[in-house]
Amino acid sequence: MNFFRRTGVWQGSLAFAILLLGACATEPTGLRELTYGLTLAPTGIDPHINASVELGIPLTSVYDTLIFQDSDSGEFVPGLATDWSISPDGLVYTFTLREDVEFHDGTPFDAEAVKANIDYVMNPDHRSQKAAAMLGPLENVAVLGSHEVKFHLDRPYAPLLDSLSQVYLGMASPSALEEWGPVDYQFHQVGTGPFRFVEYLPNDRLVLERNPDYAWAPEIYRRETPGVDRITFRFFEDPATRALALEGGQVDVIGELPHHEADRMDEMSEFDVDPVLIPGQPLQLIFNTERSPTDDAGVREALVIGVDRSRIVNTVFGGNSPTAVGPLAANTFGFAEEAAFPEYDPAIAAGLLEAAGWILPEGENVRSNGDTELKLDLVVPPWGSNPEVGQLVASAWEQLGADVSLTVAPGFGPLNEARAEGEYSAIGMNSFGTDPDLLRPFYDSDGFFNWSGYRDLGLDGLLKAGAESVASPEQREQFYQEFAEQVRDAWLILPVRDYVNLVGSSQRVEGLHFSSQGWFPYLNDLELQP
Amino acid sequence: MSGGLLTALAAITLTFFALRLAAGDPVASLLSQGLTTPEQAETVRRSLGYHLPILQQYLFFLGNLVRGDLGVSLYSGQPVSAIIGSQLASTLQLALVSLAIALPLGILLGSASSWKSRPAAQRSATTLSGLATSLPVATTGVISLLIVSLLARGQVRGVQLWLPALVLGFAASGPFARAVHSGLESTLSSPFILAAKARGLNRTRRMYWHALRPALPAAIALIALEAAFLFAGAVVTETVFSRPGLGRTLVSSILQADFPVAQGIVALAAVLYVGSQVVADGLGWILDPRLREGR
Amino acid sequence: MGRRLAIIWLVAITGIALLAPWLSLNPPGQSLFEPLAPPGNGLPLGADALGRDFLARMMYGARLSLLLTGLAVTVTLILGGLAGFSAAIVGGRFESGVNWLSNVLLAIPGLLLAMLFVAAWGPGIAAVVLAVGIGFAPSFGRVTRTIVAKLMGEGYVMAAQASGGNSLWITSRHLLPNSLPQLASYAGTYVAWAFLGVTTLTFLGLAGDPSIPEWGALLDSSRLHLQSAPRLAAAPALAITLTVLAVHAIAKKDPLA
Repeated sequence: MNFFRRTGVWQGSLAFAILLLGACATEPTGLRELTYGLTLAPTGIDPHINASVELGIPLTSVYDTLIFQDSDSGEFVPGLATDWSISPDGLVYTFTLREDVEFHDGTPFDAEAVKANIDYVMNPDHRSQKAAAMLGPLENVAVLGSHEVKFHLDRPYAPLLDSLSQVYLGMASPSALEEWGPVDYQFHQVGTGPFRFVEYLPNDRLVLERNPDYAWAPEIYRRETPGVDRITFRFFEDPATRALALEGGQVDVIGELPHHEADRMDEMSEFDVDPVLIPGQPLQLIFNTERSPTDDAGVREALVIGVDRSRIVNTVFGGNSPTAVGPLAANTFGFAEEAAFPEYDPAIAAGLLEAAGWILPEGENVRSNGDTELKLDLVVPPWGSNPEVGQLVASAWEQLGADVSLTVAPGFGPLNEARAEGEYSAIGMNSFGTDPDLLRPFYDSDGFFNWSGYRDLGLDGLLKAGAESVASPEQREQFYQEFAEQVRDAWLILPVRDYVNLVGSSQRVEGLHFSSQGWFPYLNDLELQP
Repeated sequence: MSGGLLTALAAITLTFFALRLAAGDPVASLLSQGLTTPEQAETVRRSLGYHLPILQQYLFFLGNLVRGDLGVSLYSGQPVSAIIGSQLASTLQLALVSLAIALPLGILLGSASSWKSRPAAQRSATTLSGLATSLPVATTGVISLLIVSLLARGQVRGVQLWLPALVLGFAASGPFARAVHSGLESTLSSPFILAAKARGLNRTRRMYWHALRPALPAAIALIALEAAFLFAGAVVTETVFSRPGLGRTLVSSILQADFPVAQGIVALAAVLYVGSQVVADGLGWILDPRLREGR
Repeated sequence: MGRRLAIIWLVAITGIALLAPWLSLNPPGQSLFEPLAPPGNGLPLGADALGRDFLARMMYGARLSLLLTGLAVTVTLILGGLAGFSAAIVGGRFESGVNWLSNVLLAIPGLLLAMLFVAAWGPGIAAVVLAVGIGFAPSFGRVTRTIVAKLMGEGYVMAAQASGGNSLWITSRHLLPNSLPQLASYAGTYVAWAFLGVTTLTFLGLAGDPSIPEWGALLDSSRLHLQSAPRLAAAPALAITLTVLAVHAIAKKDPLA
């Protein structure tokens, strides 16, 4: 091919391409490195301030908490606190702290550090979205000695130990908190955990490195020290990319696999798929009780039983997910079978709409009450297959004779904004957690997440009683059962499915297990087979 | 060159005003969500300069732009320049490899489509370069993914760079092919080629070589057009193949109404396009003596 | 692609688009079947991932793709045409101004200009139509201006101007009918570009509502199931490819050539 030899362009391009090839090649290292796939890049990753679950996946191992929870028995075990006691009236918790713990920046962990952390969370200017609510009626933290603290509450609060066992109340270095402040700290996090925070580039990566000085692993960890040297977290917002990334070797572990991909990969010997049931609120649609037409309970009832929820769940999630039947997922403490929402019945639904005044004119598709048509605005978040569920629910409501507009908010921020604007009939949301008190922000009249606009003193009372009921678990469960019955009778939500996180991992990965919240892996115990 | 700079400036200005007017008050979004107190919101607003008249904001924006400060993301608080910096390498990598494929492929297709002595090759080359220009990258990308995933039955390695680069490179080869083809068509009938034939240069290949050389500068000058095309193409290619990069960042910033990020990326694209035009003009000037003589 | 084949294809999809509500056996939005059900049993293209009749969705998709493309092209032709026409007629500084503005707009790659518009307007179908329409308007404006400017140099036009009639009115009377045939020959390529733009923007998810069965959107959602149901990707890919090729085969002139 004299032609091409003469031009030299061919050679030039070839050389160019070879140079690029070289640039793309990665160098081998002796480190045990693991790549973990995350899904959303949350808007903020300070566990004391932000509420996303995604941040907990890497950060649970950057921090230690005062206590830990055994995911099998539900018992609380020592962490940074070696011992604790609760006063008989449930208002004072005294914690004795470990004395051999150091933060990643070398500063010592002590009682002052605990107080500094709680103060940081409770500071109203920091606008903590979750951690502050998890502390409930906490008044203050008193430092009694270098390694003893007292938590003073102004009412009994059953969820406190559960709260203190989660990353949102993990112990951060007070000097780091002070140095960086609430906006920048998220990029420079310092804890006491088995892994150190190296860097975070939103939408690109988050890197953790083994903490060589880690010597205070709680008994629920299976290893004394971390099993890998470095973990890089990458983001895979697009569900289509997750299985691909695992198969292609770009990640060693990834959660939130689409169910059909999970089914397929489970059959392959090179990969394992772990279906982790997540306690807390199920995926649900919250009705706007302050806006027509969903301000009418009859309409809400129709919109719930007029949708074949089981069928939608089976269609979107395969056999991998239980259909939700109430405000709590079935594996959450406080779940009440007796208060389950009823099954699909389109005939009753149609009757209810007519009884509420929404008639279907001859030859028309959309119901009208004489003044306006039955218009519904459905807003859903982009995660957890909400868009697919949204499409099917919208279609079902259209079958009932409504004109439905579906919007997928591209992130939590836009979702929250849409909620603030109030232009929705139903909005998708859920939260996770092991203690049923997580319902309070959603249902309490003053709750931060009260997106239904429903304010009822009776409901508030039940939530309060449930939160304060430290005497016996049975009594607590009773309160939450009554609560669930009232939620059902007021038709505040359309429950969809109990969350299941399908976690795929390469068979080289060993030791993958999760906290009782279901989402958070104990990275300390991960090992990589060669 | 100054014309190019002015154009880039105007494009950036357009981006600024369009997005600023659409954005309204970005802090309002945070306020309505309860993620910031009114006092904090005021502080943020002042620090971002939103309390100033819009013209003044524009001047600040330009001043910051020159210093490399593109503002901060409305959602993560990270500096836009850092976000762009972290994503730029991936997009550049894709663009450069695609270009490395597009240029020789385009020259090959363009030359072959003038190869009158081999009509079969000529027809297929013409068809291929037609497909390259007209088919949307989204479609060719998905089709290629389809083919690869069906052939490989699961294990798809190397998808992350070579396949997207091939797809994008194929699409980008179109303009090159067209330029080479029209260049060849005109020079093949020109006097100096006839003279070369008369001198006894009967061998088809040498003849094509003599005809091709003057067509090359025009092709290389097209690199400027390609830069714009590649950037736009990268947006789609990154989405199809789920590659990280500026393209995907731009799409998500638009969906999330994260205006500073969207603005920064579009401004960068405008600057790059104009810059590459300047470079291409310079290259053409060097390569083609006829341009130098002020022809 | 041969012109006859192109015309057959375009007539076919236009027909399908118009008659979709009557041709489809099932509604496109309702989940009535097993997810990813294979073709057969009255479902020629099987069901999609949410158990909806995929053929029905493709047919309604034809409707949407053609409708959105048509609207976008209309925006391009009207906006670009008006700008180019007035620039050529008024001339002088107005013309230079319009010229300069279109240079600026052309400095931003078309797709990015469209995305900029969606960013400002907010995602949605209206935004996609307007974005694509505006994105290609500068190019068409330039073409219009060139054609009209050339016509203005023609003898009969100058004669009309010389005979002293209201120049704007007379030139419009002469220029408009004479420029239309030439402009129309370029319109075909803009239809192809608009179709490309619309399918690409919906592919990227900028249309807001995920349930719309526009072909670009169908292509996007097919990516999750490339291995288990390749027909979900193959159908829209094929439809888009054939449509683009068909329009290009019919379009007479390429403004870039």
